Amino acid sequence: MASIRLEHLTKRFGNVVAVDDLNLEIADGEFVALLGPSGCGKTTTLLMIAGIYEPTEGKIYFDDVCVNDVAPKDRYVGLVFQSYALYPHMSVFDNIAFPLRLNKTPRAEIERRVREVAKLAQIENLLDRRPAQLSGGQQQRVALCRALVKEPEVLLLDEPLSNLDARLRIETRAEIKRLQKELGITTILVTHDQIEALSMADRVAVMHQGVLQQYTTPEELYNRPANLFVASFIGDPPMNLFEVRYRRGGELELPGGRALRLPEPLARRLEARRLEEGATLTLGLRPEDVELSETETPEGFPAEVYLAETLGGDLLVHFRLGDGGDGPRLRALTDPERRVTMGQRLWLVPDPNKLHLFGPDGRSLLAEAEEEAPVPHPQRA
Amino acid sequence: MRASSSNSTPNPNPTPVGAAAVEAPPRRRKRKREYAHLTRFARTKARLYAALPYVLLAIVSLPIVVMYSWLLMNSFSKKTLFGFIPQELTLNNWRFLWEPLRIGTSVHPSIWTVTGNTLLFAGGVTVLIVLISTLAGFALSRFDFRGRQSIMQLTILLHAFPGVTLMIAIFFVLLYLMKFTGLPFLNSLWGVVLVKAALEIPWSAWIIKGFFDAIPWEVEWSAYVDGCNRFQAWYKVILPQIRPGIAAIAIFSFLAGWGEFIFLYTFIFSEAFYTLSLYLNSIIGEFQVVEYGVVAAVALFYMIPVIVFFIFTQKGLMQVTVGGLKGGR
Amino acid sequence: MRAAVEQRARAYRAPLNTPRTRLLRRFPTHWLFLLPMLLLVVVFFFVPVILNLILAFTDMTLSLRWEFVGLKNYVKFLQDPLIPQIAKNTLVYVSATLSINVIFGLFLALLTTYFVKRENVGLAFRSLWLLPRMTPPVVYALLWIWMTDPTEYGLLNMMLQAFGLPPLSWRTEYPMATIILVNGMVGASFGMIIFSAAIKSIPVDYIRAAKVDGASDLGVVRWVILPLLKWPLMFVTTWQTLSLLASYEYILLVTQGGPNHRSEVWSLYAYYKAFASGQYGYGAAIAMVLVAVAVIIALLMLRIFGFRRLMELMR
Repeated sequence: MASIRLEHLTKRFGNVVAVDDLNLEIADGEFVALLGPSGCGKTTTLLMIAGIYEPTEGKIYFDDVCVNDVAPKDRYVGLVFQSYALYPHMSVFDNIAFPLRLNKTPRAEIERRVREVAKLAQIENLLDRRPAQLSGGQQQRVALCRALVKEPEVLLLDEPLSNLDARLRIETRAEIKRLQKELGITTILVTHDQIEALSMADRVAVMHQGVLQQYTTPEELYNRPANLFVASFIGDPPMNLFEVRYRRGGELELPGGRALRLPEPLARRLEARRLEEGATLTLGLRPEDVELSETETPEGFPAEVYLAETLGGDLLVHFRLGDGGDGPRLRALTDPERRVTMGQRLWLVPDPNKLHLFGPDGRSLLAEAEEEAPVPHPQRA
Repeated sequence: MRASSSNSTPNPNPTPVGAAAVEAPPRRRKRKREYAHLTRFARTKARLYAALPYVLLAIVSLPIVVMYSWLLMNSFSKKTLFGFIPQELTLNNWRFLWEPLRIGTSVHPSIWTVTGNTLLFAGGVTVLIVLISTLAGFALSRFDFRGRQSIMQLTILLHAFPGVTLMIAIFFVLLYLMKFTGLPFLNSLWGVVLVKAALEIPWSAWIIKGFFDAIPWEVEWSAYVDGCNRFQAWYKVILPQIRPGIAAIAIFSFLAGWGEFIFLYTFIFSEAFYTLSLYLNSIIGEFQVVEYGVVAAVALFYMIPVIVFFIFTQKGLMQVTVGGLKGGR
Repeated sequence: MRAAVEQRARAYRAPLNTPRTRLLRRFPTHWLFLLPMLLLVVVFFFVPVILNLILAFTDMTLSLRWEFVGLKNYVKFLQDPLIPQIAKNTLVYVSATLSINVIFGLFLALLTTYFVKRENVGLAFRSLWLLPRMTPPVVYALLWIWMTDPTEYGLLNMMLQAFGLPPLSWRTEYPMATIILVNGMVGASFGMIIFSAAIKSIPVDYIRAAKVDGASDLGVVRWVILPLLKWPLMFVTTWQTLSLLASYEYILLVTQGGPNHRSEVWSLYAYYKAFASGQYGYGAAIAMVLVAVAVIIALLMLRIFGFRRLMELMR
């Protein structure tokens, strides 16, 4: 299989910058997800890797060979689209056999390899059908077979699960991951669904407006988001974010005037950054990292229940922060057994080891000083 | 105002109204009575009203029906009553099928030679148009290049531009093509095939481009990744998917070629290259007064492809014709 | 391991090294696809337009000798005693036929798509009205020749006979009316198709809302449908003006422009001058007026409608 390296990859359509100076390395056999909201440039990146779009600038390396000038058919890539893009005028067999026929594989071998891959995907009994006669899940498998039959160096998946219904999606998710590990094939998955990305990929590249935000393992991404965009994008329900003021000596002033004492290592790290007294920072707090208390505690903050939603296994409680319930909104996840009523006053106790802090430029302040956050989050309108 | 009218008529259905009236507020009661009144004549009125458009359409369309039934009846009968009610059935009018028509001393060419010419002409036009417009339509739909927009605008303009105004100049183009190449561009079917195809191509390229546009990019991209080059993607993956579009322009091109008159009339001089339009035109002049029956039979024979087309493509017709309507004809 | 990677690396490089790929990459393939169309368009549209312009300055006749005579043809044209009549005929013909095409086309479209609720019936009537358009022009002309036949065998004369009236020579008595009706019957279907498509694309909710608000069917037509047909109406009008100016095929077949030039229009006059009397140069000068008008209207169309809207209308 191939390793992939993208260097200063840029794609412009007229005046629109779809991908902006992207640098990415993907190891041999690795499963990488490109994650981001629609229009963030992830599909464009994928199509450049496939050779369908020509990069405006920058280079794409497969195994340290620049493939910018190599035609798609010679890149040995397999590609699965969200719409599956099966050829409607061909049977399932012919669809899967198509790439082999084009590279003039002998008849007997085509037959053997198509059956083999169809067996792997459990669609042997559908080979005579037309794509229109298949369900979405079956079409998806055919598309996967067509991509795999030529034994590609790289497998590219463009939102392959988005058109499946919820249950099938979870099943297929696991199946693709198993298949990828089994074949050891370098795989790039493009998705807007964070669960898909976090659950399937070895590493996730989060993109926003053409710019790479963070590229790391799913755990890191969740626990140490590099900037505000990643923090707000990853996690469901999303992270609570609100403005706080920095006080020398390891304290943060929350809206409403109460102070939050930072744990020692964190306070020291902030001290090292030499922030100004009273600087405005953004505090991030995941809903699951907040404890609810019915009685006042020294670490707690008063808040008023605004709304409670049952999400199956959890209860999601919306609060208004502050004594009079007039501060910023905040969400917390709690045990569904707990009874809360609208307007009830509770104390929120954040887990001090799970705080996220972002500077005025939107970058995380928790990263080691020398370990720069990859790219500053561009402040665009 | 409505309320007063309902008061003045006896209530046809009093029981439910009375029952409900006990509790219903006065306005509601009034409305209820009004509904009952309105329902009374509504159905008859609505029925009459709904029939009106059908009647109107039938009346204005009558001339077309009469004209074409005249053609049919006359071709099979010796005499007709009011022109289209056949009196005496005969196949004599169709004798042109087995013997050349004569008038006085002149003998017309055999209908089969003429039909062969027409098929050759219409077929040539069709092949040329389908081939060239599928190529051009693909480029316009799928390639991004400088000048694409201009070529599309040009295509639209040329489609609107009436080519017949250029008849005189086209005559000279053919004349000089013939002089320079030594090939028969004038007085030959092939020369006129080129002219006819050229005039129709802006339209057909335009239509077929729409069909190409409807094919998702992903399918084409898949073809490239699967190992196609652009030509292979075009004929192995994309062309098979736009068969309906190709059929549409093929049918319309064929019928356009089949019916062509003015360019053939102007650029063909010898009877050996006569097509059905020229043949029919020549016998109209000669047989018109004497025997409408023969002329009608030839015309009906000439109409066969049109009739077949009408029977088999009722629905598809409407979808494609929009663009297929060229000019004042 | 390293060897395997190198081998694959060579595989990536390989396709670049063949001369064929290099050539294909450098050559813009799209022109290859467009070439046949552009060739035909140049030879049979562009060259003729220029050639026509040049011919108009020559004294080209059957002898086919190029003799440039400057503006002589245009001077002749201004002094031609027939021109005023031809111009008037053209004006009457185009405006009357255009009105039929637009108004009657709209009438047919409204009836078949809005008032007639049964889809099949509407479709059948629309197909019927397309029949004249699909019929070969010579056959269609024949039908009208028979219809207007001066003897008692013509349809119109049979109807006169039924009322005890003597037969009339329709084509010589009313040549203009004849050619207007001949073209109108074909032309109406153009408007019909465009308008029908436009009416069908109106969201049915608009019509339902208007009905609930108390509009009658005619009210719906007046307040909902017609305002939404603004662009199609303008499109059909300009388009048909253009094609009617140039159309002479049916006139040539039915009345031959006669009697005594009474139904002869501009384009037919140019045609006769060139191909009946062999005055190609003079014919080209007359046709030049049409070519110029056609180019102007076509460009104007692009300006008024804009490329986008024109594309939508032609779908």
